[in-house]
Amino acid sequence: MRKANWLLLVLALMLSAVLVACSGSDNENASDDNTDTEDSENTEETADEGDAEGSDGENVLRISATADIPTMDPPLAEDNFSIQYTDTVMEGLYRLAPGGEIVSGIANKDETEVSDDGLTYTFHLREDAEWENGDPVTAHDFVYGWQRAIDPDTASFYADYLMSGKIVNAAEIYAGDVEPTELGVTAEDDYTLVVELVTPVPYFDSFAAFPTFLPANQAFVEEQGEDYALSADAVLSNGPFTMTSWEAEAGWELEKNDTYWDAENVALDGISVKVIKDADTALSNYEVGELDRVGLSGTQVNDNKTNPEFKSLSETSVFWMKFNQGSESAGEEMQNVNFRKALAKAFDKQAYVDVVYGNDSNPVNFFVPENFVEHPETGEDFQTGSDVLAHDVEAAQEFWATAKEELGFEEITLSFLSGDTDVSKAISEFMKTELETNLEGLTIETVNVPWGEQLDIMKEQTYELAVSGWGPDYGDAISFVDLWVTDGANNDISYSNEEYDALVKSAKGDLALEPVERFEAMQEAEKIALEEAAIAPIMQRKTSVLAKNYVNGMDELNPFGNDYSFKYVELDK
Amino acid sequence: MAKYIAQRIIYMIITLFIIATATFFLMKLLPGSPFNQVAAKLSDAQMEILLDRYGLNDPVPVQYLKYIGGLIQGDLGVSFQYNNRAVTDLIMTRIGPSAHLGAQAMVIGSILGVILGMVAAIRHNSWVDYTSNVLAVIGISIPSFVFAGLLQYYFAVQWRIFPPSFWDGPEYTVLPTIALMIFPMAICARFMRTEMMEVLGSDYIELARAKGVSNNKIMFKHALRNALIPVITVIGPMTLSLMTGTLVIEQIFAVPGLGEQFVRSISVNDYPMIMGTTLLFSILFIGVILIVDLLYGIIDPRIRLTGGKK
Repeated sequence: MRKANWLLLVLALMLSAVLVACSGSDNENASDDNTDTEDSENTEETADEGDAEGSDGENVLRISATADIPTMDPPLAEDNFSIQYTDTVMEGLYRLAPGGEIVSGIANKDETEVSDDGLTYTFHLREDAEWENGDPVTAHDFVYGWQRAIDPDTASFYADYLMSGKIVNAAEIYAGDVEPTELGVTAEDDYTLVVELVTPVPYFDSFAAFPTFLPANQAFVEEQGEDYALSADAVLSNGPFTMTSWEAEAGWELEKNDTYWDAENVALDGISVKVIKDADTALSNYEVGELDRVGLSGTQVNDNKTNPEFKSLSETSVFWMKFNQGSESAGEEMQNVNFRKALAKAFDKQAYVDVVYGNDSNPVNFFVPENFVEHPETGEDFQTGSDVLAHDVEAAQEFWATAKEELGFEEITLSFLSGDTDVSKAISEFMKTELETNLEGLTIETVNVPWGEQLDIMKEQTYELAVSGWGPDYGDAISFVDLWVTDGANNDISYSNEEYDALVKSAKGDLALEPVERFEAMQEAEKIALEEAAIAPIMQRKTSVLAKNYVNGMDELNPFGNDYSFKYVELDK
Repeated sequence: MAKYIAQRIIYMIITLFIIATATFFLMKLLPGSPFNQVAAKLSDAQMEILLDRYGLNDPVPVQYLKYIGGLIQGDLGVSFQYNNRAVTDLIMTRIGPSAHLGAQAMVIGSILGVILGMVAAIRHNSWVDYTSNVLAVIGISIPSFVFAGLLQYYFAVQWRIFPPSFWDGPEYTVLPTIALMIFPMAICARFMRTEMMEVLGSDYIELARAKGVSNNKIMFKHALRNALIPVITVIGPMTLSLMTGTLVIEQIFAVPGLGEQFVRSISVNDYPMIMGTTLLFSILFIGVILIVDLLYGIIDPRIRLTGGKK
């Protein structure tokens, strides 16, 4: 008996040891961060407390993120957070200013020379830019960074997507046929970078501001080896901020980088980001004053619409319904233009936004977003507001009647593919009701599958109708217009129109150096696709947030790349 | 005893191997690929290059052998969603807060539960018993995220006594611990009450009373010990599931734990992470079952693990 008592005691002790061990390791982590990141040891504690509190008049922006940063390695950045924060701690040739304007970064934008054939770009780098460790930022860092990005061993998706077929030898390197050192980018001297292209890329400026094209400090990357960019210490900054701590799933802290060449124009002292996955928790933190700004989800939008701190920011993501003309089961019907038009005009887009999202996203009748690109001469928006596919039940019913006659059917069943999330299910229910009510003889069968399966089905084109969207990665309408080219890599609707193809081809080829004609060709192409109802546009999405009125410079989302330009954000407390 | 443990460990290894194999092949049936996030923008050729690079184009049995080969050497592979970060690192950096929170909730919850159950049994059919019963029913029937939401709303947003979320120190653990401990507390209280009532009605307790043993001694030395057996049975696995992280509580209180990975790794087809979390849970689960079996013998020597050797 006595012995057993002892054992019980030992077990109790073990349990408490687990507790102590856990909290002990937490403390260790925290103190690690302190010693590694704070420069002066004496102010260590106070500085850290200041960051944690953040509300004592300090000039630190406190925001939240819905997920941890997957990586701080620029070529591997694919998601919003990686793209946002690699851009925040590093700087490429150019960077994005509020409103999506592309401005000088390490390279002076006004001095950039483009050859007459548009195939050679010569960037002149500023000589006062430094890495955090004191090394100068040179053209060699860009050469190394880009070569590393396209190196098949790095396995960067974006490097291939953006470089292949554009920069000399990129596609060959990614396929493993040529060494990365053969990439068409060279350092003429320490501060002159020459980029050779296979074909003119009128939007190369956008690339120069995108994280995949960030420089890398070879010595530092090689010294860190496999640990590179996996912790705050393994990230080397040359941009407006430097990462001082990064705790898995908890958050990260950025501090103004005093060695940044333009540090005097960086208003914030730092940025504190907490990982909060639950939208209500994030809102609670905003309400008790722990955050300066918070993103809102579905129902929260309606509850907070009247709040003076409520803001809606327009994204450049557009959503549409796809008609799969290559479908084995309903291909014949889908190829009928009246059939497509009937479906495209039969549902209420405003109601769709209200029911599914409950926010103020814009119902649209086009697929190249508004406020995205402007006419190179007149400065007018690309989008002139087509309404051929506007919601109009009567017109839809007329098209439907014609389609019935032409195709000879009275009743038809179509499948509608969507995801298995709440939003996706709301979408399929809404579309089923709208389409079945307005088009007689139509039955919609909803198919809700996980995102991964949805992608497979769309790739294999075994669906009939589906909802899908697209967001651009560079500031050019070709990102959207190129989608529906015959046999295009992303054309999973089997749309094909010779005139459209010709316009897109010239926009990508012979008109590359004629900005005005090129722009108008793309506008024309979109018009053709809309008149033929290649797809049925639904809405251009908006993001809703609550932000304290002292937060300046976050009122617009950048049209591509990083959402916000923290370099220009200010707190007017 | 040593022989028994050695035997159990061999069985554990076999069980683990079966779990790993089953999970691996089931996982390969998941639709989609680990590159879902960018797949919409990938051309088929690009997708092929990526699949090749990560060995995902090999026949599934080959992939399986490679994985098991790595596993034997302690290599769990690299995660897809966290761009090549080692699965072991990902788990190690996240398990801390989960284990801390889970252990804290479990210890406090089960101790309170046992006390509550005991008191209810001793004073049964009194107001103490009814109160404890009501508490137990509430604790079992109301899901923890409802408590979590209420706690957060009142204690953090309305009264501002505790911070609403995050993981920065002891005060940050209070609300999630309470939200998490309600369920184990209720379960323990219920089991404890039932068992205690039964034990208290048994002959040997009567005998002890007749012999004039003090009430305290009867309660703690004779009754509690015997009543603990079923409680221990449920506590073991429950401790484990709490300590490996609970998705909802961790999300609501923004605790940087492992809970989310059990679900998320599956939805994003992060194969190595699915295997990693499954194996972690299996190892701990099997381990806990062993510990529970050993504990039986300690608490109640009548339950013998090995044959009655002298």
